[in-house]
Amino acid sequence: MVFSSIPFLFFFLPLCLLLYYAVPFSMKNGILLIFSLVFYAWGEPVYIVLMLFTAAVDYTNGRLMDKFGTSKPRRRLFLIASVTVDLAVLAFFKYADFLTGTLNRLLGASIPALGLRLPVGISFFTFQSMSYIIDLYRGQVPVETNYLTYLTYVSMFPQLVAGPIVRFSAVNRELHSRRIRKDEAENGILRFMQGLFKKVLIANQAGVLWESVRALEMARTSVATAWLGAAAFTLQLYFDFSAYSDMAIGMGWMLGFHFPENFRYPLAAVSVTDFWRRWHISLSSWFRDYVYIPLGGNRAGTAKHLRNMLVVWFLTGLWHGAAWNFVLWGLYYGVLLILEKYVWGKWLEKLPKGLRHLYTLVIVVVGFVIFTFDDGTALRNYLLLMAGAGGNRLWGGECLWYLKNYGVLLVCAAALAFPIYPRIREELKKLPSGGRIAAACVGAAGYIALFLLATAYLVSDTYNPFLYFRF
Amino acid sequence: MTGEKRIREITAWLLAGMVLVLSLGFALLPKKTFSENENRYLAKFPVLAWENLRSGQYMSDISAYLSDHFPGRDSFMELKTQAELLQGRREIGGVCIADDGYLIERYEEPVNTEKIGEILHTFAGKIGDMEAADGRSLNLRMMLVPTAFCILADYLPEHLPESSCDQMDTIGRLGELSGIRMIDCSSSLREAGMNGQIYYRLDHHWTTYGAYAGYLAVCQELGFEPVPLQEMNAQTVTTEFKGTVYSKVNAYMLPGDTITIYTNPEDRLTVNYTDTETVSDSLYNLDYVDQKDKYSLFLDNLHSLIEITNETAESDRELVLLKDSYANSLVPFLTRHFRKIYVFDTRSYRLGPSNFIGEHPGVTDILILYNMNTLDSDLGIRAIY
Repeated sequence: MVFSSIPFLFFFLPLCLLLYYAVPFSMKNGILLIFSLVFYAWGEPVYIVLMLFTAAVDYTNGRLMDKFGTSKPRRRLFLIASVTVDLAVLAFFKYADFLTGTLNRLLGASIPALGLRLPVGISFFTFQSMSYIIDLYRGQVPVETNYLTYLTYVSMFPQLVAGPIVRFSAVNRELHSRRIRKDEAENGILRFMQGLFKKVLIANQAGVLWESVRALEMARTSVATAWLGAAAFTLQLYFDFSAYSDMAIGMGWMLGFHFPENFRYPLAAVSVTDFWRRWHISLSSWFRDYVYIPLGGNRAGTAKHLRNMLVVWFLTGLWHGAAWNFVLWGLYYGVLLILEKYVWGKWLEKLPKGLRHLYTLVIVVVGFVIFTFDDGTALRNYLLLMAGAGGNRLWGGECLWYLKNYGVLLVCAAALAFPIYPRIREELKKLPSGGRIAAACVGAAGYIALFLLATAYLVSDTYNPFLYFRF
Repeated sequence: MTGEKRIREITAWLLAGMVLVLSLGFALLPKKTFSENENRYLAKFPVLAWENLRSGQYMSDISAYLSDHFPGRDSFMELKTQAELLQGRREIGGVCIADDGYLIERYEEPVNTEKIGEILHTFAGKIGDMEAADGRSLNLRMMLVPTAFCILADYLPEHLPESSCDQMDTIGRLGELSGIRMIDCSSSLREAGMNGQIYYRLDHHWTTYGAYAGYLAVCQELGFEPVPLQEMNAQTVTTEFKGTVYSKVNAYMLPGDTITIYTNPEDRLTVNYTDTETVSDSLYNLDYVDQKDKYSLFLDNLHSLIEITNETAESDRELVLLKDSYANSLVPFLTRHFRKIYVFDTRSYRLGPSNFIGEHPGVTDILILYNMNTLDSDLGIRAIY
C-alpha cells in the first residue's frame, strides 16, 4: 500500500488511528503491529515471511548475545551470525541475479537467473534491524526481550517501505512508553498532509513531465529539453522521497513516535558535501556509523581515507538497486566528495553563493540521470545529448511546450525546494496579531484546497508510481 | 493559546474530519454499478480467494473498487481537470486540448501492427481460396480511417511534441502486410474538413459528415455514383452530445456536439438485429438520444450481426461489412447501393465471418472498416476469420 492512495488515506489510516487511540496503552503496540503486518502483506502477501524471519534472526541473536555474551569475542560471534544472515537474505533476494548476470558477462558463464521479485522495502527493514544488533553489540542499546515489540519496531508501517531508516536507538524508549500529545498529533496531521501534497501534486506531475521527455525520440530532442527532463526527474525524486519521509514523520507524531528528519532542503545545498548532509540523511548516517567509521574513517591516513570513501559510496550506490548504474552513481559521488575534500573544496568556498548552488545542482541533476537509466547505452546517449555533443539543436519548440504546460508546476516546485516557506513563516511571526491570524486563515484555506485537489488527483487514478521498488 | 495556534489546530482537525466524512460517505452512500459519465461498468467488490490474495490481485481489485465508488468521483475528476487547465496544461491524460473546442486523443504507438497484419493476411487468403474453389468473385477492400489526431493536425496545440508514430504509416504497413486492396479516405476527409465538421469535438468518432466523406471514398473505389448529401433527409437529433473523449477529461465547460442523422427517402429498409431477434425499419435507435452515450443511436450500438435489406437498392450486390463503431454512421449512406448488407461486429460475432461468406453465395463485396484509434487494441479483429 502506498501512503498516497485511496485505500491508505481514507480507510487504513483512519481505522488504524481510531483503534489505536481507543485502546489502553498496553495494547497500542499490538494494534500498531497488526496494522503494520496488514500494510506490508497488502503489497507483499508472500514475502512478509521474509520480514518476520529477519526480525526473528536479529531478535534471537540479541537475546543470545545478552545471555551468553560474557566476553567481547563471544558477543562478536552472535553479531557476526546475525549480520551474516541479514546480509545473506538481502543478497539473495536483491542481488543474486545482478551477481550472476555480471559473472556471466565477465566470464562468459551461463548461470541461469533466478528471476526473484524484489521484496518491497527489504533494504530499509534489513538496515533497521541490523542497526539494533550492531548497537546492542556496542552496548549502546538495551536488549529487547519481547519479540512482538521488536517486530513492531521493524515492521512499523509509517517508515517500512520508504524510510527514514529509523534506528532502534531512536525509538527504543518510545516503544516501551510514550506520550501521545494532542498538539503533536495535530502537527503530525499537518506534516502528513504536506507530504501528501508534495507527492501527489508535485512529484507525480513532475514525473509525468519526465516520462514524456523520456519518451521523445532522442535524435529530435533539443538540449534544453533534455536538461528540463533531467531537472523534472530530480524534482520528482526529491519531492517523492522527502514526501514519504514527511508522511512517515507526521504519522510518527500522531502515534507518539519521533522519527529522525531525513531531508533538509538538499537541492539548496552549496556543495556536494553539503548535499549529502541534507539528502536521505538516515541512510548516509547509517553508512557513516556502521561502515565508514568502523573502517577507520579519515583518521588512518589519506590512502585509507580514500579507500573508505570509495567503499562507502560503492555500497551506497549498490543499496539503491542491483544494477551497475546505481554503483556508478554512488562512485560518482564518492569521487566528487574526495575531490571536494582534497582538491577544490577550499577554492569552492570562495565562489559566490549563486555559483556554488549552480555547481551543486548541475552535479545533482547529472547524478540523477545516471541514477535513472539502467541501460548503459541510453545513459550514454542522454548524457551526450545534455552535453550538447550529440549534434542536437540547443532549443526547440517542444521545450516551449513543456514550459507552457509545466511552467507553473516547475516554478512552484523550485520555490518549495528551497527553504522559502520556513522563512515566510518566520516573517509572519513578526506581524501584529491581526496579521498573524489573517495569515493563519489563508494557510488553513490553502490546506483544505490542496487536500481536495490531492484527493481529486487520487480519485482520477492518475500517474502515481512507487519509486522505491528497487531499494 | 494564541489565535493563530488555535487556527492551526482547527485546520488539522478539519482535515482529519474531511478524511472521515469521505470514508463514511463511501461506507454509507449507495453504490452505482454503471458510470454514465465514463460509459463503463464500475469495479465490483472482489471475491476473496487464496489465489487472488497470494498474487495481490485481491488488493488491487479492492483499490479499484474504492476509487470507482468514491463519493463525488465525477466532481473530483472535474476538479482535477480544472486545476490542470488553469496551470496551462494543453494535454491531459493523453488528450490534447485543441483549438476550436476540440478534444483530440493522441495516437498511441501501435504495438500489434504485425500481428493484425498477419490476421488480415490470413483472412484475405481464405477469401482467395473461396474464390478459387467456388469460382466466385469477391471485392475485398479495407478502409482504415485515420483519427482527428492525424486529419485535424492543424487544430492541435502549438509546439506539441511530435509523435514518434504516424497513422498513415501504420495504415500503409497494414496494407502491405495484409495484401488487401486499401481505400484511402484521408484526402476525402481533409477536403470535407474544409467545409464542415468531420469529427465530433468531444468524442472519438467521426461525424455523419465525416462518414459521408468516407462514403465518397468507398463509392469512388467500388464505382458507385454517390448520392448527393442534399438528396438525403437530414435531422438534427441532439446538440448535447458529450462523448468518450469528454469523459476522459471532464472539461464540463465545453459545449456539447450536434449529431445530425441522414436517411435516404428512397430506401425501404428491413433491419434485422439477429442476436436480439428484433426487426426495425430504421438504422437509428433514437432512445439513445436521452442517454450519455448518444453515438449508440447509430445501428443501436453493438450487435454481433445485423442484416440490412433494402428493397429499393440500386443493385443486387450484397456486402459483408466487418467493422467497428465508425462504420455505424457510414452504413446509412451505403444502403442505397446494396440489396443486403451484413454488418459484423467481430468483437462479439464468434462464428467466423469467413464461414458466413462461404455459406452465402450472394455476397459480392467485403469491406473491412476500422478506425485507427482503437484498431491496435481492438480484440475484435483477431476473430475476423
